[in-house]
Amino acid sequence: MRAGPHWLGERVRRLEDAKLLTGRALFTDDVDLPGMLHAAFLRSDDAHGVLRGVDVSAARARPGVVAVFTADDLGDYWRPGPALVPPPPIPGLVFNSATQVPLARGKVRHAGEAIALVVAESRYLAEDALGDIAVDVAPLPAVTDLEAALAEGAPLVHEGFGSNVAAHARQVKGDYAAARGGAYRVIRRRFRYDRGAAAAIENRGVVAAWDAKSEELTVWDTTQAPIPIRNGLAGMLGLRESQVRVVAPFIGGGFGPKIMMFYPEEVLVPWAALRLGRPVKWIEDRQENFYATTQERLQIHDAELAVAEDGAIIGVHDVFLFDTGAYDPYGLTIPINSQCTLLGPYAVPHYDSTFTAVFTNRPIVTPVRGAGRQHGVFVMERLLDLAARELGMDRVEIRRRNFLPPDAFPHDHQILFQDFAPLTYDSGNYGAAMDRAVAAIGYEEFVRTEQPKLRAAGRRVGLGIVSYIEGTGIGPYEGARVTIEPSGAVRVATGVGTQGQGHFTTFAQLVSDVLGMDPSKVQVITGDTREFHWGTGTFASRGAVVAGNAVHEAAVRVRAKVLKLAADALGADERELVLACGSVQVRGDPGRAVRLGDLAAKANPLRGAVTPGTEPGLEATAYFGPARGNAANGVHAAIVEVDPETCQVAIRRYVVVHDCGTPINPMVVEGQVQGGVAMGIGNAFYEELVWGENGQLMNASFMDYLLPTALDVPAVQIEHTVTPSPLNPLGTKGVGEAGAIPAAAALAQAVEDALGGAVEVLEIPLSPNRLFDLLHGGAGGGGHAVSPAARETAAGRGTGVAE
Amino acid sequence: MGIPVSLTVNGAGVAREVEPRLLLSDFLRHDLGLTGTHVGCEHGVCGACTVLLDGEAVRSCLLFAVQAHGHTVATVESLAPDLGGATGAAAAGPGHGALHPLQEAFREAHALQCGFCTPGILMTLVPFLAEHASPGEAEIREALSGNLCRCTGYKNIVDAVVLAARRAAEAA
Amino acid sequence: MIVEGRHAFPGARDVIWGLLLDPAVIAKTMPGTEAMVRAAPDRYEGKMRVGVGAITAAEFDVAVTLADVVEPERYTMQIDGRGRFGFTRGSAEVRLEADGAGTVMHFKADLQVGGKIAAVGQRLLDSISKLMTKQGLDALAREVEARLAAARPGGAGPAPGGGVAPGPERGAP
Repeated sequence: MRAGPHWLGERVRRLEDAKLLTGRALFTDDVDLPGMLHAAFLRSDDAHGVLRGVDVSAARARPGVVAVFTADDLGDYWRPGPALVPPPPIPGLVFNSATQVPLARGKVRHAGEAIALVVAESRYLAEDALGDIAVDVAPLPAVTDLEAALAEGAPLVHEGFGSNVAAHARQVKGDYAAARGGAYRVIRRRFRYDRGAAAAIENRGVVAAWDAKSEELTVWDTTQAPIPIRNGLAGMLGLRESQVRVVAPFIGGGFGPKIMMFYPEEVLVPWAALRLGRPVKWIEDRQENFYATTQERLQIHDAELAVAEDGAIIGVHDVFLFDTGAYDPYGLTIPINSQCTLLGPYAVPHYDSTFTAVFTNRPIVTPVRGAGRQHGVFVMERLLDLAARELGMDRVEIRRRNFLPPDAFPHDHQILFQDFAPLTYDSGNYGAAMDRAVAAIGYEEFVRTEQPKLRAAGRRVGLGIVSYIEGTGIGPYEGARVTIEPSGAVRVATGVGTQGQGHFTTFAQLVSDVLGMDPSKVQVITGDTREFHWGTGTFASRGAVVAGNAVHEAAVRVRAKVLKLAADALGADERELVLACGSVQVRGDPGRAVRLGDLAAKANPLRGAVTPGTEPGLEATAYFGPARGNAANGVHAAIVEVDPETCQVAIRRYVVVHDCGTPINPMVVEGQVQGGVAMGIGNAFYEELVWGENGQLMNASFMDYLLPTALDVPAVQIEHTVTPSPLNPLGTKGVGEAGAIPAAAALAQAVEDALGGAVEVLEIPLSPNRLFDLLHGGAGGGGHAVSPAARETAAGRGTGVAE
Repeated sequence: MGIPVSLTVNGAGVAREVEPRLLLSDFLRHDLGLTGTHVGCEHGVCGACTVLLDGEAVRSCLLFAVQAHGHTVATVESLAPDLGGATGAAAAGPGHGALHPLQEAFREAHALQCGFCTPGILMTLVPFLAEHASPGEAEIREALSGNLCRCTGYKNIVDAVVLAARRAAEAA
Repeated sequence: MIVEGRHAFPGARDVIWGLLLDPAVIAKTMPGTEAMVRAAPDRYEGKMRVGVGAITAAEFDVAVTLADVVEPERYTMQIDGRGRFGFTRGSAEVRLEADGAGTVMHFKADLQVGGKIAAVGQRLLDSISKLMTKQGLDALAREVEARLAAARPGGAGPAPGGGVAPGPERGAP
């Protein structure tokens, strides 16, 4: 066996797969406990109304029903959830905090808001009992349109605030107003970018069991943040943190909404278990998921880009509205991400960005893979495309002209990022990534030869190529503990959970390199607060970066202990020692070796004296907290063909060049990118939550909310560039969201190109219906057909407005 | 109040009393403890609940347990029977030799991430591969089009099927 | 959702008026109605059972309040239906116009539908409401015919029992 690092960067097959493939992995709904009861929630049909009364008497009387609770039954336990993310210290910020309640009281503010909890012997009986409950709601007009919500006289989601403004924030850099006068062209458009449900195939669930004898509460929860949930529940229930164990077992996809915390169900199921003295299980069904689990939704941007004659960006001015839903527990993470990610890999000397977060009578909005970065990327990339067309410039060329050069790092953009620190890019080589993408998609060949040929044959083919930054690896911190057991097996415990991103393998790879063993000998435990209870969770593409570096550091500390002990045991100098195959050997003298397991046993004597200041065993705990987040980057390129009659868009090729610094396992990285692109394609064409005027969701099922299938997602050609991050020892950056972020921008550009500039795609999603309307001048909205006259702009102060 | 049902599940005879409205998916998961079959939507679109009924792929969320009376059901647990309930499989290096060749191919091709949709996809593919010895990519994608995966973007799943088919042909 | 239309009936306006406001007739002719009583001069309460796509029998408690009543010309209704699968709420205007020996009924309803039924049955709501409207009007027309036939001297009524039209079909595909 080779010595020295060689697992880092290897395509190691996953250690967790056998369990998952054979159906033996424990997911939350697989938990089955003696005496377990089942919960169901009665949810509001009305999006907005005065809740005058709830009559549960008939439900309580139904055989098989053990308890029914309304807000009044919760006593002191009823209180709004915690505000999870405080807003960054932006000067002049307005922030109105309103968080979700466990059961509605006085008002209902979105369709699907929980009104009552039924606990029964089976889920079937609990759902029967939901029909017994009579709710007296006086409906109120629903707030759904973002602009109407801010108009005088609009109905108010929260009367106490006097308006539907949840937040208002402006970040500026330079002086856009002054600089604009010197622009050669100003491109101005309105963009509408909608998202949708994360729609993980596993819905949410919570199982809670209180052991009255040991006075311990165990909770299984489909959460991406088991440690904060454990700490919060302990506080709410009046227990010590050490009395509460939260287990996030195997989780069927997270994608963001499973890190929203203190959902009503998460807060009530443990309370019910304690109160009823029996385990309680709640598993969400798919329809509930559309209302009861958070989602992302619409932003409307009125944005303009001022450019010089050579295509250099002078500045960007953006005013946007953001739909935060009925409550805003997650603060301003999404709009801040939009604001920051808009800047992309470009030098933007002047920036003036203002947003208003708006309360609406719809479910809560919290990050879904991409977390607002999509919106920023779409606006900037579309503005650049429109500028390129105005200037008669090649769209790759305009991007290259504005890239931050490779020696520009660290680059401080002077506005605040979601980790409250100034947005600073650590490293990147954007030109190199673009070169790779241009080569991989065959840009020159396509534009010069293939496209003209196909067009001459009447085919509408087009290419889109876009560039983006993804801020990843933010703090605050994560931790890990590495232990060598007397058997020689290695155990790693960390506080983050795993929802498919391969931590059981990637973290084992990190440890294997440091301790010289095969990853299959390393057992990784994630998401169990009994194993590790300091940390925050998996979100914002930070797991590998932050927890990975903590795992690495803990392994390095164990290695130091190993060397010290082994030097003593083998009578050698530490520098002569090599760790390989689970042993420590003297270099060049294989006879002098000791197994790691034996060293571990030796390090934990039952008798005798130890040197003062030493620790027993071969174990170490380490924490990693980066100074700030880092900047991964990439380029997406796509070739599409549009059927002019059906307006279906076929994706012929899709290329991603991605830079996530040092990849731990390229196979896992590529899986994340391919999966992310699938979500991006869904976002671009298929996925749309359709709301009625009265706040009703009209497509709360997979029959009508369309997820991309195997027929809709091509194989993505993935290439890597590597600019390591100087912000962590491994040099790694995040990759979880990269595939999803710029896909719609790339595809929009490609569709426009395919149609020869006959339409402007300014709205996402772009369904065949909408594309048809754009082509034929219908009322579909979402951009408009562009007349030659409309493209005329007054030189110097023209705004290029095409109405 | 229960209706007696008897059926064969994964080769073993099973007899229970069930409510008429009990879904087959709930029967398998909770009455029989075969939790490998997963429920993603309960309205027959995502395919995560796919099992074999008399050898054909069906959505167990769209069937009642009583409808399976007298029939044969196979779930994902039947693909690698030797690994059922075995401990020490957390570090799955050794022991993966007992995986079904299709499962083996999935592992090799990184055709799963969270693994929740995977059992349904495996059970959809078992009868497909029995009838299509060397399927092309278009055929495979068509066969998979009734199974939703939110993690992988499908590419590696297609690769796994190609790999499994090729190996089966070589072994034959 | 707007449901509107017109229908011609062979009877005189006051006859049609009487039938439209008779709870027994409503119960018989409006598809899915299981019971309907006149709880007050201007208020009807009852139960309806409707199928929409995958939901085969959604039960609703329905309350209808009359207003702006100008006999025998027109009235408006406030409709409030609530059940475990959702709600339907809105208003409707009914206008009767004499047309020779017959009557033309004009109706226009503006209804909101919400809850589970709206969330999973959205694609079907339009066609279901058209189907139910047609079934209801056809049943009403048969009832009108039956009553008129029974009232004719030496009447060619269909049965000695009083010429009751057959009950409505449940509105569901």
